[in-house]
Amino acid sequence: MSKKGLLIFAVLAITTLILSACGGAAATPTPEQAAGGEAATEAPAAAGGSTVTLWFHSGRGAERDALTEILGNFADAHPEITVDAVELPEGDYNQQVQAAAVANDLPCLLDFDGPFLYNYAWGGFLTPLDDYVSADMKSDFLPSIIDQGTYQDHLYSLGQFDSGLAIWARKSYLDAAGVRIPTLDEPWTRDEFDAALASLQALPEVEYALDLKMNYGRGEWYTYAFSPILQSFGGDLIDRSTYETAEGVLNGPESVAAMEMVQGWFQDGYVNPEPAGDTDFIDGTAALSWVGHWVAPDYIENVGDDLLLLPFPDFGKGSKTGMGSWNWGITSSCPNPDDTWTVLDFMLQPEQILIMTNANGAVPARSSAIANSELYAEGGLLRLFVQQLEGGYAVPRPITPAYPTITTAFQEAFDNIKDGSNVQDELDGAVDQIDSDLEENNFYQ
Amino acid sequence: MSVTQNTAVSAVPAKGALKRRNEAVTAWLFMVPAALGLIIFLIIPFLMAFYLSLTNTRLISPEPADFVGLRNYATLFNVALIKVEPVIDEQTGAVMRDENGNIEYPRARTILHGDAKYEGLQEAAQFNLFGNHYLFAAGDPTFLRGLKNNFYFVLVVVPLQTALALLLALLINQKIKGSNLFRTIYFSPVVTTMVVVAVVWTFLYNPGEGTINAFIKTATFGLVGPQDWLSNPKLAFPSIMLLSIWQGVGFQMVIFLAGLQEISEEVYEAAAIDGCNMIQEFFFVTLPQLRNTTIFVVIATTILAFQLFVQVDVMTQGGPSDATMTTILHVVNEGFRQQRIGYASAVTVAFFLIVLFISIIQRMVVPEERAVD
Repeated sequence: MSKKGLLIFAVLAITTLILSACGGAAATPTPEQAAGGEAATEAPAAAGGSTVTLWFHSGRGAERDALTEILGNFADAHPEITVDAVELPEGDYNQQVQAAAVANDLPCLLDFDGPFLYNYAWGGFLTPLDDYVSADMKSDFLPSIIDQGTYQDHLYSLGQFDSGLAIWARKSYLDAAGVRIPTLDEPWTRDEFDAALASLQALPEVEYALDLKMNYGRGEWYTYAFSPILQSFGGDLIDRSTYETAEGVLNGPESVAAMEMVQGWFQDGYVNPEPAGDTDFIDGTAALSWVGHWVAPDYIENVGDDLLLLPFPDFGKGSKTGMGSWNWGITSSCPNPDDTWTVLDFMLQPEQILIMTNANGAVPARSSAIANSELYAEGGLLRLFVQQLEGGYAVPRPITPAYPTITTAFQEAFDNIKDGSNVQDELDGAVDQIDSDLEENNFYQ
Repeated sequence: MSVTQNTAVSAVPAKGALKRRNEAVTAWLFMVPAALGLIIFLIIPFLMAFYLSLTNTRLISPEPADFVGLRNYATLFNVALIKVEPVIDEQTGAVMRDENGNIEYPRARTILHGDAKYEGLQEAAQFNLFGNHYLFAAGDPTFLRGLKNNFYFVLVVVPLQTALALLLALLINQKIKGSNLFRTIYFSPVVTTMVVVAVVWTFLYNPGEGTINAFIKTATFGLVGPQDWLSNPKLAFPSIMLLSIWQGVGFQMVIFLAGLQEISEEVYEAAAIDGCNMIQEFFFVTLPQLRNTTIFVVIATTILAFQLFVQVDVMTQGGPSDATMTTILHVVNEGFRQQRIGYASAVTVAFFLIVLFISIIQRMVVPEERAVD
């Protein structure tokens, strides 16, 4: 090659390298970048005290303010410990934490979105909380919180709140359409639900009978909100007896029937596949809203006394719903785990939990907090969420380090199914993806 | 220009050699900052990616990574073409047909799972050729789909965007009032973050309340109904292309504008004296004078087009049914969402070689003209 040719080759090689590097750069959030969003919760350093670093996902504004208030209370109660809190954007939160874990740059205390916890526990990044949590304290928590935080017989995380997922409705619409109001003891059957959708769709003010919050887009929402349908049909995301395969479960006849029903909702025009905004239910153009507790403050304010909270239909194997939410864990690389526990313990005091749940509408994680919550105590508007969590209607998402793969595969399949792809083919594809990941990782033994 | 300087210097040989050496040292010194940047941020990461591609590294795992040789590449390029026999009715011996009269074939998954030699293969496509039915299976059909989409994107977007950029540059090069305003307007999408552009266009494309559907409805007097721009597999990728051209065209326009202003007025005057009309002037003066600019624009646009990621990640996540999947999105999905860093690295290395190869071919087909060599 001539000198000139070599030069051109070098220039091109470098230009194309920029390509591969740019592709990578877009995906690799660095902790430095992340630290840009530092929250203003840093208390003045107390003399001789230790510092606990803390990361949390930046959720809704009210949630953020509540955490700031809780950390402010902590600073007043424990001036000897400084909390250095960093807020990261929710969309990329898990990827940022992963990158930090790889770079050995994790903070002492951080929160995880539900089942992503197990991957970190398996990877050895977390310290078990067993020695810190007394039996009394443990029994005060909702059983779902303990289930969610437990991996291989050790408790790795505790949350301030659990989630509730159900159907929101307007009493006036149900009355007008002549639809029975279901209860947890007597939920809608599949036939009743089909009939309800048809008659609600026929109401003049209704454009879409069912609001599935498709505006949230492909993400954890799909798995959280729609895997309970699989379970109510008798299917699931993975074979939970072994956690070694999804074959015959995620692509079995029950799961296929479940997803074909959901596909039918889209094909029959009951669901808006691309809502322009988040307000279809508030505006009254959607009759039923299939969504979690976080809309509660908004819906209560806008719909008022007409608002109803209803359990999911029983599609054959009982009414099933989702559970799990953000939960806190302490990292194994933390230099001062005892001080970190002091922070977490404070955040989990019933009064502090109530500051958070009053702001975001979630189910308080401790019985003692629930008793003091207007919305969740006996007779409260959102009591159904507590009953679902305590009564075993809520199913945890699969407790396995393979969860990131399971949820990605299911989300992709669901996205294609709602757009009209063949259900069996899509679920088969998801099973192949999950099984090859399990095999590649020696079944996460 | 540099030629005359050099001859002048070499008139004094002894001093000249020394000066040339000094110049060389200065040149190297000037290069150091850029070279260091390239080495640290491009070359070292690339070598690391190449090393990772030979291992089964996971993002989060208590197990140490193993060296697996070329296994990742074997999966990537593993393909098979399988002839599929129709399903035969056991009682009548006739070929089974579905309700539409089409011949029924066994499911791809049944074939691939039924034979050990097809292990690790997944369905990529099925087609009829010369009266036979074939199943094309691959170790990673998503990678092939992404690659195919990348080429499709480059073949459509590069010529369109280059032509449009030249047109815009010619328009705003006119010495009329307000051309500065138009320059700013055409360039403004380039300085807007792609994520913002993508979110805004998601609203424009919204089937129920988007402006684009409303415009089409009005313009066609309601004859054309609303389209599902981003969830229809046929429309989704062209929709992404449209917005990408709109966002990127200003950048190429500015480069063309610089090229146009380099062309000396005298050439145009000479052409006018020779009796050229406007069209002849464009094809025989402007275009040849813009040769080097055009080559640069085409190569830069090609490389940028292969990087397609942000729009699809924000707007469609590769869907519906992989219609907007691209290689870079596949890399991010595999590496960060599925945590297979080793495999994702193999995809980047393979993709780098493919794009490098294309750039070299482009340079060989249309070499740049140099005034001084």
